[in-house]
Amino acid sequence: MHNNGYRWQVMEIRSFADYLRGLDDAALISIFTYRPDLVTPVPPDIASLAVRASSAPSLARAVDALNKWQLQVLEVCVILEEPFTEKEVAALTEKSALFLIPGLIERGLLYSDNDGLRTPTTLKDVLGNEISALGPSSMGKLKLKKLDEAPAASKKVLDAMVWGPPRGTIGDIKKPGAGVQWLLEEGFLIPFNQQTVVLPKEVAIYLRGNKVHRECETTQPAVTGDKRDQRNVQLAAIANIATFLRWTEEILNFWAQEPASALRSGGLGVRDLKEISLHLGVDENCAAFVAEISYLAGLLTIDPDDRILPTHQFDIWLTQSSSMRWQILASAWYSSSRLSGLVGKEGSKNVAPLGPELDRSNAASTRRLTLSLLRENLNIAPHFDSIFSAALWISPSKRSGGLHKDYILWTLREAEWLGMTGQGAISPYAIEFLEGNDVTAIDSDLPKSVDHILIQSDNTAIAPGPLEHEVAQELALIADVESRGGATVFRFSEGSIRRGLDHGRTGDEITKFLTKTSKTPMPQPLEYLIADVAKKHGKLRVGNTASFIRCEDSTLITQILGDKRLEILGLRKIAPEVLICGHDAAEAMNILRSCGYLPAGEDSRGLLLSGPRIQRAQTKARPPRIIGEFDRLNQNDIENALRALRTGEKSSRKQSTMRNIATEALGSLPRTTANETLDLLSDYLQNQPNKSLSIGYADNNGLVSHRIIDPLKLSAGSLIARDHATGEVQTFRIARITGVAAL
Amino acid sequence: MTDGPLIVQSDKTLLLDVDHALSTECRRAIAPFAELERSPEHIHTYRLTNLGLWNARAAGHDAEQVIDTLIKYSRFAVPHSLLVDVAETMSRYGRLRLEADPVHGLILVTTDTGVLEEVIRAKKIAPLLGVRIDKETIAVHPSQRGQIKQSLLRLGWPAEDFAGYVDGQAHDIALKEDGWKIRQYQEHAAEGFWHGGSGVVVLPCGAGKTIVGAAAMAHAKATTLILVTNTIAARQWRDELLKRTTLTEEEIGEYSGAKKEIRPVTIATYQVMTKKKNGVYAHLDLFDTHDWGLIIYDEVHLLPAPIFRFTADIQSRRRLGLTATLVREDGMEGEVFSLIGPKRFDVPWKEIESQGYIAPAECIEVRVNLTEAERLSYATAEPEERYRYCATTRTKRNVVEELVAHHSGEQVLVIGQYIDQLDDLSETLGVPLIKGDTPQKERERLFAAFRTGEITCLVVSKVANFSIDLPEATIAIQVSGAFGSRQEEAQRLGRILRPKSDGRTAKFYSVVSRDTIDQDFAQNRQRFLAEQGYSYRIIDADDVFQGKF
Repeated sequence: MHNNGYRWQVMEIRSFADYLRGLDDAALISIFTYRPDLVTPVPPDIASLAVRASSAPSLARAVDALNKWQLQVLEVCVILEEPFTEKEVAALTEKSALFLIPGLIERGLLYSDNDGLRTPTTLKDVLGNEISALGPSSMGKLKLKKLDEAPAASKKVLDAMVWGPPRGTIGDIKKPGAGVQWLLEEGFLIPFNQQTVVLPKEVAIYLRGNKVHRECETTQPAVTGDKRDQRNVQLAAIANIATFLRWTEEILNFWAQEPASALRSGGLGVRDLKEISLHLGVDENCAAFVAEISYLAGLLTIDPDDRILPTHQFDIWLTQSSSMRWQILASAWYSSSRLSGLVGKEGSKNVAPLGPELDRSNAASTRRLTLSLLRENLNIAPHFDSIFSAALWISPSKRSGGLHKDYILWTLREAEWLGMTGQGAISPYAIEFLEGNDVTAIDSDLPKSVDHILIQSDNTAIAPGPLEHEVAQELALIADVESRGGATVFRFSEGSIRRGLDHGRTGDEITKFLTKTSKTPMPQPLEYLIADVAKKHGKLRVGNTASFIRCEDSTLITQILGDKRLEILGLRKIAPEVLICGHDAAEAMNILRSCGYLPAGEDSRGLLLSGPRIQRAQTKARPPRIIGEFDRLNQNDIENALRALRTGEKSSRKQSTMRNIATEALGSLPRTTANETLDLLSDYLQNQPNKSLSIGYADNNGLVSHRIIDPLKLSAGSLIARDHATGEVQTFRIARITGVAAL
Repeated sequence: MTDGPLIVQSDKTLLLDVDHALSTECRRAIAPFAELERSPEHIHTYRLTNLGLWNARAAGHDAEQVIDTLIKYSRFAVPHSLLVDVAETMSRYGRLRLEADPVHGLILVTTDTGVLEEVIRAKKIAPLLGVRIDKETIAVHPSQRGQIKQSLLRLGWPAEDFAGYVDGQAHDIALKEDGWKIRQYQEHAAEGFWHGGSGVVVLPCGAGKTIVGAAAMAHAKATTLILVTNTIAARQWRDELLKRTTLTEEEIGEYSGAKKEIRPVTIATYQVMTKKKNGVYAHLDLFDTHDWGLIIYDEVHLLPAPIFRFTADIQSRRRLGLTATLVREDGMEGEVFSLIGPKRFDVPWKEIESQGYIAPAECIEVRVNLTEAERLSYATAEPEERYRYCATTRTKRNVVEELVAHHSGEQVLVIGQYIDQLDDLSETLGVPLIKGDTPQKERERLFAAFRTGEITCLVVSKVANFSIDLPEATIAIQVSGAFGSRQEEAQRLGRILRPKSDGRTAKFYSVVSRDTIDQDFAQNRQRFLAEQGYSYRIIDADDVFQGKF
């Protein structure tokens, strides 16, 4: 930034600071309410507040919060020469703009001094060059009326440039065409360089009919969509909620048994994602979403050994009511800055779910915006284009790429998966949720859980509703799930019964459990199946340490020894009932099982091994933190901030006086406040550029040292200067300069 | 939340609670679009398939009706995505139409040029097409009608077939209902078929599929070709047609190894049709020698591959497939549906049983223990010999003897796979044996004697697996089978399902060696029947000897 500009800006900030000082508490509170970042953390005094309020990031945030109409009015304000009046603004837009000006003032985006209205200078940079495609001001006075009599060729040029871009390329500035020639002569075009001309903003505004925008977009476009019946919306939403809770449970139970491992670059690999999407019977986008939400809610984490495992929090979650469980997932989603929609997006590089690349700063705000639009349009499943244009009106800012079409699309998709919407329209549960209430209605609206099953003679069992947790866990151990949904269909097979036995159940226990749980009599073939498997199960025992196979049934030993398929095990008979083998026990068991035998593991003391089936992570849940947005502060916090600020302001004046006295008394290191430092530095730079200065500079530990420097430039809160001690050009941070004095 | 009888699962299966008051009504409502998969005692499983939904469209049901039905009967809220999927799937039907064209013969017409552009670029479709007539129309080689329908189905753009059927040479056929009446379900089945044009009717063994065939012929009133499994079945068909219809002996011809008659109604065996002479199927011409108005495939689950291929070429003739057990261990069910036509009628076995049209049956698995010596030789047998060994153990013979003695006075069939075993049993029991090399005459004599009660016990090989009508047989004892074949088990049970004059319960024994591969196969074999609601009881061979069963 040019020295001049900088100085000017300092002055400007000063006048802005004076303006702020003059505000009463109510006005300051309203600024803080709109712009919570101004008091996070609380600035030490009003001067610092003014600096922060006119800094680019803070202004950008404030601009982001404006809707299309507010933004249009603000753009006009920035275009006008300062100071300007409300009337001038209304003239370039329309009358209703007058209603918006107080709001912009409340936000600290406009302020008034004795002469009229002004904007913070940095606002121009924040809104970008060529606001509303308008060029720079003309240098001289223009006779705009003459434009009406412009020659046809010139008119054509003007027509092409009036709505922007305001720059035009011509062959050679020295030999312009007739149309351009006339415009240049009249000053209606300004030569910019050898091949470029610029249309001054006065000309463009005149040609636009003394307006800046083609159209003043004063109202939000209506959201249109398909009408939905409220009852159906609720039914569809509850089905979605039931399904989502089931998905979450299933994915975590799945990983409890076979933990996926995280990629080295973080996140879930493509193959693991495919596996869970297959397991859930949904597409990969949806599977990635379920995994992400569990991650955000702290139900799963990535262990230090890179295994992805459910946490203890998952166990707690399981014991909670359905409404509570849903709320935990829903709020994790609602406030997250991560976008699972980025996973597997076509035409982009592969982004892994649970990985580090999913954060986007405007994700949460887009989600909030979309949901609020849905909420304003009850019983309507909006058409995407209409909801997008409404969102664009509410949030027109282009910062960080502006409002992303995909983000809204994903929000709608995810809201449906989660049951925030049903048939595309917002559900009553989502409304309760958005109001911050407990959504207990879910508990009564979800199908009642059942504690029984119906066993049929084709070796299937059907749970005619959501099963109670304990029963479901036990059944999952001894039967394979064949079909999921409102009900669950289980199938018993030799393999599934064996799994139960492998996990320490006995045949009798299984039969007893089924008889107790089933509403229908236990079919005899199933009873036989369990008894048969139980009888055979454990006849073979395989040890790990010695890797032995023993069996009381010598026929079976003979059979195994004679089994050609088992030759790879290298079996040797060491006793009538014992074989040893060259492979370790696990491998041996697998090979035996694959050949249709039913071995059981045994430890060295002869005890039957039955490992725990489900696993939990050892570390605490560390859900990814939310980045980006500042939350709106509550009234209390704001008032506290204000009090602190007022106190700081007082003490800062007192301190500076005290310091002056102290400095004079001590006369050692120069002492100035940050603002004084800035003033002095810019003053020296401008008026005595070659003068060496003495400064006090604090190092990382706060130790102040004395430096002699030649200042070179002020930029972005730093001073660039040559240090006499080292002879090198160094950057000094203004905040660390304790004082400046001439040598 | 309604309290309906139906649970719609997210994997597109529908679970129907048969004990619910609305279950019958619901079953009727979903039958047009959902396919019955299993019907055990409490909960029946249906499945929504693309094919099923398209057939529903073809039969005039629209997506809205289907969705309404699902919502109306569903116990829980139906997942919205599933409903969307149903609507989308159904909307794919009918964008392409096959039509007859006076100039080009057969044409493919579309209402959606995008779809047409997509399909004509498909590798499998391109060779079947002729010239492009305009943006929305393209010619199709008439001989490829079946092929193109099949390929379009696989692409997911099923064509609605408006090209119609050839009427065939007219021949007057009517049902002759003297002293008997066509049953309601038979009439429904025949009508379902006739309105659909072509298709498969699934009815349990003994439920009178021949009558459905006869009723279909009465609808067509045209010359008919009937394909059956063997000569015995051919004769049974002829006898039945003479009895039930106005056809006379002169009008019905038999085309088999023995005779080569071609008459207005011709009954041919699969065997003769697939016989090769100098490397070519000499008899497949039969399809073309006559202007058939209707072709009936009996026991369509056994349809041999050459006939499959040939059937693709005769899509303009009406085709009716009949079967009790449309399960093929080779997984070719889909081919049957696309070539013969979709399932037009299916009903749970137990439903027919409850109406009294097939005999109630009890299935009993008798487990025998191998002796120590047998077990040792089983353990050391070569894998490929194992099943044969345990299925034919001598221990089984004693059990069969005991069972036959127990049921003396009733009509007993002993059915097995291995001829040695059957020879042995026939000798021990002192009863005649019918096997592959038994002459046709002898077979017919023995079956006739069995029907009249002159013989009360017969040992039969797999030649009697199907199509053999033995109304009074009440007991079947299965000693061995074709490994884990589900349909064989069902067909064998079918031999004893004809309703008995005294309403007796039929008994089906399956003798199985315990703790062997025989037991594993038995489990697989029983699956089809278990899914139809037949519950097996397992007893021990010792119980048989002690008379405790």
